[in-house]
Amino acid sequence: MERKSMEFITIALAASFLLVGLASAAETPKAAAQKAIPKQVMHHSSSAAATAAAAKAFEKVSAELYPKAKQEGNLIVYSVWDVEHLKVITEAFMKRYPGIKATYWQGRNPEIVTRALTEFQGGQASWDVVLSDNAPPVIRAAGAIQNYETVQKDVLYLHDPTMPTVSLQIQALAYNTKKIKPADLPKSWEGVANPKYKGLIALDDPMRAGPLSSMLSGLKTEWNDDARFKKFVAGLKALNVPVHKSTSAMFRLVISGEYSICMPALLHDVMEELHKGTPINYSKSVPPVLFPRQAGIYVKAPDPNAAKLFAEWLISEEGQKTIDSVGRESSRNDFKSKTSIESAFGKGIQPLPVTDQFFLEDPKKWLDTYVKPIWE
Amino acid sequence: MRQGTLVPLVASAFVGAAIMTPVLVVLWRSFTAGRLGFSVGLHLTNYLRVFSDKDILAMLGNSVWYAGGSALLGTGLGAFLAWVVARTNTPGKALVELLPLYPILMPPIMKNIAWILLLAPRSGILNGMLQQFLGIETPVFNAFTMAGMIWVFGLACVPLGYLFLLPVFLSFDPSLEESAYIAGAKPVRTMFKITFPLAVPAFTSALVLNFLRGLRSFETPVLQGTPGNIKVFVSRVYDSMALEFNTGLATAYSMVLVVLSIVTLYFYIRATRFSERYATITGKGYRVKVIDIGLWKYLTFASVLLYFFVGIVVPFVVLIVVSMIPYFDYDTFMHFPFNAVLTNYHTVLNHPSFMGGLYNSLVLSVSIAVVTVLLGIVMAFTIHRTKAAGTKVFEFIGTLPLAFPPLVLSVGLLIIFIGTPLYNSLWALALGLFVAYFPYAFRNASGSIVNIHKELDEAAWVHGAKWRHVFFKITLPILKPSVGGALFYIFIEAIRNVDVAVLLTAPGMEYGPVTLFEYFRVGQWAEAAAGGVIYLIILIVAVSLAKFAFKIKFSL
Repeated sequence: MERKSMEFITIALAASFLLVGLASAAETPKAAAQKAIPKQVMHHSSSAAATAAAAKAFEKVSAELYPKAKQEGNLIVYSVWDVEHLKVITEAFMKRYPGIKATYWQGRNPEIVTRALTEFQGGQASWDVVLSDNAPPVIRAAGAIQNYETVQKDVLYLHDPTMPTVSLQIQALAYNTKKIKPADLPKSWEGVANPKYKGLIALDDPMRAGPLSSMLSGLKTEWNDDARFKKFVAGLKALNVPVHKSTSAMFRLVISGEYSICMPALLHDVMEELHKGTPINYSKSVPPVLFPRQAGIYVKAPDPNAAKLFAEWLISEEGQKTIDSVGRESSRNDFKSKTSIESAFGKGIQPLPVTDQFFLEDPKKWLDTYVKPIWE
Repeated sequence: MRQGTLVPLVASAFVGAAIMTPVLVVLWRSFTAGRLGFSVGLHLTNYLRVFSDKDILAMLGNSVWYAGGSALLGTGLGAFLAWVVARTNTPGKALVELLPLYPILMPPIMKNIAWILLLAPRSGILNGMLQQFLGIETPVFNAFTMAGMIWVFGLACVPLGYLFLLPVFLSFDPSLEESAYIAGAKPVRTMFKITFPLAVPAFTSALVLNFLRGLRSFETPVLQGTPGNIKVFVSRVYDSMALEFNTGLATAYSMVLVVLSIVTLYFYIRATRFSERYATITGKGYRVKVIDIGLWKYLTFASVLLYFFVGIVVPFVVLIVVSMIPYFDYDTFMHFPFNAVLTNYHTVLNHPSFMGGLYNSLVLSVSIAVVTVLLGIVMAFTIHRTKAAGTKVFEFIGTLPLAFPPLVLSVGLLIIFIGTPLYNSLWALALGLFVAYFPYAFRNASGSIVNIHKELDEAAWVHGAKWRHVFFKITLPILKPSVGGALFYIFIEAIRNVDVAVLLTAPGMEYGPVTLFEYFRVGQWAEAAAGGVIYLIILIVAVSLAKFAFKIKFSL
């Protein structure tokens, strides 16, 4: 009987190995060919004619895509956005386009990338569009995003010819109004590295794919001056202040008075707190950092027309109003709201876009190349 | 091997296979190099990177300090509370039995937030009070230190220690202690020489579990460790996933935790290898003896109250206030209740998945608790009662999932389910939760079964009983107190699971915890506090009702 028991254990373990084999067979580990890196274009403003042309182009593409999308009948969205926001957005979309059932799955960026690419490698036609900030370029780099250029590109702040930018993540220099006077604030991002701010600053971890690293990428592109960039990162390092892996938690600690300045905060968080009367504000003279939030359409999308229609609708005026209604920033340069750059920072401000595709597609390698040697 | 024990052996083998499949997928993953989507062949690249990581030893050192300190604090305190409740004449028995249970209901991340608000050096409530009322300017407390981390996670480890030890203390054969008294030993000496040594298997089981939980825990190191520049090993695993999108590297880093877990388990097995030494439940009839500890009973009563106060009242009060004030800072906090608002509760109650997801999560959590506990006992029974060769291997297999950070484990599960009819179904989620929580059920059963003397079931075996008679008529009834505790613990853990569930929920599937705990994940602390308060009230009411309606007792 003892032999028999060993046999059973062996059989069970062999069965598990067999399952592993099947699972690995389901996956087709194929190195996706690195495509030519698309160039992002920045438009600071657009004319009334551009707005009208975009509206006309949207109506046309919408009329073309809707019947096909209706035939597909479904839309599956993977997103990092809050469930409450996704519910409002998908319901507005379904109301506008009856006959298409939109469902969503929500996770954080690493979870989205893991799920989307594991399914891609497993050959699954399981999702249509990914709606996020950091995730779409990473998924595209693996060859899992099909190129789609929006017909409304001329009204976008940031335009990527392969993935429609449907919203922006805007970073601002926020501060606790009880702890520091506006006059004492840094006048630029570079000014944060001034030693006088030691002990006052809460710093996002620059060695993670977070807001500070994307800002560093934007600054590096903008300055195009390695010595200046190195000096800035070294200055931040010399502050010897705590770094945070959770931007939101860091922001709460600034509100609580643990720190005076938040490097950086997300504009929609600041706006929401301002509305509540929280002692927080942001510097209007420090240029906002613009990070694209894109709609990446899956190469194996089961409902590709619904996905394209959804991306176009999100950029349309109606879609942008819906995005704005949940507190997220518009991606259009002709859209006016409290979080639009002109309203929030005033005319003449020069935003700092994050457009370096090397950073967007492989943040780890970018950080290892440009930041790690100075930071660690 | 005994005759008629094939069924538990086969059942354990299948459970073992269910656990080993994702574990082996993860292991295989660790040999695939490159980012997700770029995996190329089988390599040792990931391991070469792990072992050439110059920070690895320092980070492992921090991890061992943090996990070890928390496990010792939590399990020790839990064991003490269990002893007070089970073996002493501490007054207010009904209340004292119930009080240590309630802190289990509060999710660890809620405790993290509450304690950060209490102990932050410059804005913390306690430092603020010391400054305002005693004029102490220099911050006394600091949440962003190793001590702060151990304090917060240690408190989260107490329930496991309490639930593992309570049944053992409740099932002691008093003749062992009586012999000590007859030999002239005082109660305290008896406690240290007889009572506690007999609880070693259950204590070590809880300690091992809490240690492994600490090794892979992420929230406390991220929220409290990073601002204090304390880097723990598991952050490398998460960085590999979140920054590099390299599951192979993440799993290679996880293998270090697996090796640590195996070493820990090896020592546990060695420490408890003469299991008959720890048998406290024998064939002889007895009544559990309560020790009269004299005036000390008021101190033990106060200590239970103090734990209840620190474990749940203080953080709960902080969360209630935070959920009702417009924003958190010391002044606003102290101005409560004159500035109370209910907007966060309105937001949470209108959350699209708050009610819809509750049904799925309730059904799943109850089912998972029942199935894992039952199969956990079957596996422990197989190891300790069937005398079949090689069953010790289950001791490792049954605990293995706990060595993996949840995100890594869920990748293994995801790969298994893709392409099968189970994918994107509740079954996949249920199986995922089963694998994730089986170690708790198994370790609890394994620790408890050692305390049952073999003479009880041997009497049945020699009379020709089949395994089912021994299992259902002897083992299971005797294990009733630990079964109750394990069911309760796994239900509570499963109903708030996010890390494993998030990758296994389907688009459109409403699963309460994933969406409700989104507030914690995105750092909306006020809404998170409001959600946590509602959640906690629902659970306290549900658990209290269940306890009284179904007469659930954690005693014999």
